[in-house]
Amino acid sequence: MKRPRIGIFKFTSCDGCQLSVLNLEEELLDLVGLFQVAFFREATDRPLRGHLDIALVEGSISTGWQRSHVVEVRERTRYLVTIGACATSGGLQALRNWTSIEDYKKSVYPSPGMIETLPCSTPISDHVYVDYELWGCPVGSDELSETLASFLLDKRPGIPGYSLCMECKRKGTPCLLIAGSAPCLGPVTRAGCGVLCPSLERPCYGCFGPREGANIDALLNVFRKKGLSPHECSLLLDKMNTYSYRKARSREGRL
Amino acid sequence: MKRLFRIDYLPRVEGEVGITAEIQDGEVTVRAAVFEAPRFFESFLKGRHYSDVADFTARICGICPVAYQMSAVHAVERIFSVEVEEQVRQLRRLLYCGEWIESHSLHIYLLQGPDFYGTENAWSKKEYLPIAKKGLSFKKLGNRILTIIGGRPVHPVSVKVGGFSKLPEKKVLSSALPDLQKAYEESLEEIERAARLSFGENQMDVECVSLRDPREYPMNYGNVASNKGIDTSMSGFLDVVREHQVGHSTALHSEMRKDGLWSPYLVGPISRVNLNDEKLPAEIRARMKECGISLPITNIRMGIVARSIELSYAFHEAARIIREYEAPSVSCADFKPRAGEAVWITEAPRGALVHRYELDDSGYVKNCTLIPPTSQNLGQMERGLRDFIRSHLDKPVDFLRKESEKIVRSYDPCISCSVHFVVREENKTEKPPHGVR
Repeated sequence: MKRPRIGIFKFTSCDGCQLSVLNLEEELLDLVGLFQVAFFREATDRPLRGHLDIALVEGSISTGWQRSHVVEVRERTRYLVTIGACATSGGLQALRNWTSIEDYKKSVYPSPGMIETLPCSTPISDHVYVDYELWGCPVGSDELSETLASFLLDKRPGIPGYSLCMECKRKGTPCLLIAGSAPCLGPVTRAGCGVLCPSLERPCYGCFGPREGANIDALLNVFRKKGLSPHECSLLLDKMNTYSYRKARSREGRL
Repeated sequence: MKRLFRIDYLPRVEGEVGITAEIQDGEVTVRAAVFEAPRFFESFLKGRHYSDVADFTARICGICPVAYQMSAVHAVERIFSVEVEEQVRQLRRLLYCGEWIESHSLHIYLLQGPDFYGTENAWSKKEYLPIAKKGLSFKKLGNRILTIIGGRPVHPVSVKVGGFSKLPEKKVLSSALPDLQKAYEESLEEIERAARLSFGENQMDVECVSLRDPREYPMNYGNVASNKGIDTSMSGFLDVVREHQVGHSTALHSEMRKDGLWSPYLVGPISRVNLNDEKLPAEIRARMKECGISLPITNIRMGIVARSIELSYAFHEAARIIREYEAPSVSCADFKPRAGEAVWITEAPRGALVHRYELDDSGYVKNCTLIPPTSQNLGQMERGLRDFIRSHLDKPVDFLRKESEKIVRSYDPCISCSVHFVVREENKTEKPPHGVR
C-alpha cells in the first residue's frame, strides 16, 4: 500500500501543538513509518510539493499572507484537520478582536507603522472548509493519535463533544464548583484533557473550548451568585478560546 | 561583483525566520528576517489579573512554557513579597529540569543534530536513527517530569503565584529515579559524542551573559553576570540593555551598553556553561576534561556541546532533588495582592528570560515588558553570520548558504517567542514567504 502523505503546517501560534506531534516520541517513529511526512518544517528540510492526503494545521489566521496560504493548503489536501485552540478557535491572540489593533501596535512597538497584521485573529474554519477540528491548548496527544489512526482505518475519530464534568464524574474527582466553590468552566467545556486541572485541585480554565450546546450564561449566573462581578466572569471566558466562547454565548442570543 | 543569497524559510527551528545576505566588494550585510506574526502579548496582558500572567505568557512558547511561568510567578511574588518554602523552590527547579531536558534533547537530536550527520531530518538516515531514538527517550523522560508535577508537558497547569495548586507525591516522583539514573549515565557518553563532532572555525568574541547564583547552577535565582565584567541585580540589568526596532528587520533587537557603546551579547547554554562551570558536579566536569572540552566555549556551533553538558546536569540535578524531596507544609503560601513593580529573570533553556510587571493595588497588570532570549541573541546571530561570510568570501554561494543555515540553527532560535516580533514591510504583498511552492 502506498503510504498516505501527511503535512504539518503552522500559522500564528506558539508551536506547542506541533510539539505535541513530536511528543508522540516513540510513536512518532511509527508514525513516520505509516505516513509519508511530506511537509513538516519544524522537523525536516523538505519543501512542499504535490498533494497531501491529510494536513494537520496549527495556528490561527492573523496576517494577509496566511489568509491566502491556508487556501493553498486546502486546495492541496484531501482531509484538513486543525490542531489546537489557535487553529480551531483563534487562540489567545484573538483577544485583539475585542479591541483596537492600532492601540495594541502602539503599546508594543516603537514604530507601529511597520507592523502588518490583520485586525482579527480567526480560526481556520472562518477561511476554508475544515474536515475535522481538534481542540485543546495544547491539543491532546491521545486525540492526535486517535485521529491519525482513524484516518488509516477510514473511520470517524472517536472524540467526545460532551462536557468535562462527564469525565470528572467518571473519574470520581471531587467537584470544585460545588464542593470547592471555585469558578470552574468544566460544565461548559469539552472533555479531552483527562480532567487535568480538577485532578490538580485547580478549576478548569477552558483549554478545550465550549462543548456542544453549552449553556454559558447559566454557569455565569452561578458564578455571580458566588460573588464574581460581570467583569470577572467575562475574564474567565476570555482566554485561549475567547472567540469560541463568545460565539457560543451570542448563539444563545444573550450577547 | 555583487552576490546575494536568501534562505527564505529556515527549517528545523522553532518558528518562522529567513536570512538574506548581500556581498558586495568584500562588504557583507546580513539580515535575519522574521515573519512570525505578532501576537501582542504585552497589550492583552494589560488589565488582566496577576493569576492569569503565568498561564498567558506560557502560551508565548510551546517549547519553553515553564520558563515563562517561572519568570512570571517570581516577578509577581517579588511584588507581593511572597516567600516560598525551600521545598517549593526545589520543586520548581525540578520542573525546570524537566523543561531543560525536553527542550535540549529536542534541539540536540531533532533540530541541530541532523546537521552534523548530513541528513535533512532525524529519521531519514539509518545511521542517525539510533541517535534520534536515544534523544526521543531523553525527551520523553523530561516530559514525564513535567507531567508528574504539572499534569502535561506543554503548558503545564499546577504552577501558581505562591507555589503550586497541588504537590506531587514523593512516591510518584521517585518512580522516575531509576530512569533518571540510567539517562544520566548515558548522557555522560553523549557529552563525549557531542565533543567529537566537527565544528569548523566559528570563533566569536562576544559578551556572554547569564545568571550566576552562589548556591547552584542558575535557573530561578541569581545576579546577572558576564565574562566582561557585568555583575548586576535583575532589575539593574534593564539599565544596561535596550531593545530597539531595527530598520531592515522584523524583531526588536537587544543590545548592551559597554563603555558608552551598544553592542550585541549572547545568552543561553554556552554563556551559562562558561560562567558557571564550577557549579557543575565533579563527575560532569571530569568528563568534560576527558573529552578535551576547554572553557570558555567560543565557537557557536559548539552550542550542542554546551547543551549536552546541561542535559546531563539536568538529569543529575533532577535525581538529586527527587531523592532529597520532602513535602512542604503547604502547597501555596499565603499573600495579599498589592501594587508595585518588579523585574525577574530566569534561565530558559535558550537563555535569560526577562519579565517586568507593574500591578495595581488589586493585582491587575498596568504594564509589562517581556524580553525572550532569542531577541537578545538576534544581534549576535547577525554579527556572527557576517563574520563567517566575510572570512569565507572565496567559497561558492551554495556552501555559504548551507553553512549559514547551520550557524543560525546553532543559536537555537525560538522565533515563536514572538511577543516582540514584527512582520517585515516587504511581506505586505500577499506572496507566500517562499519554501512553499
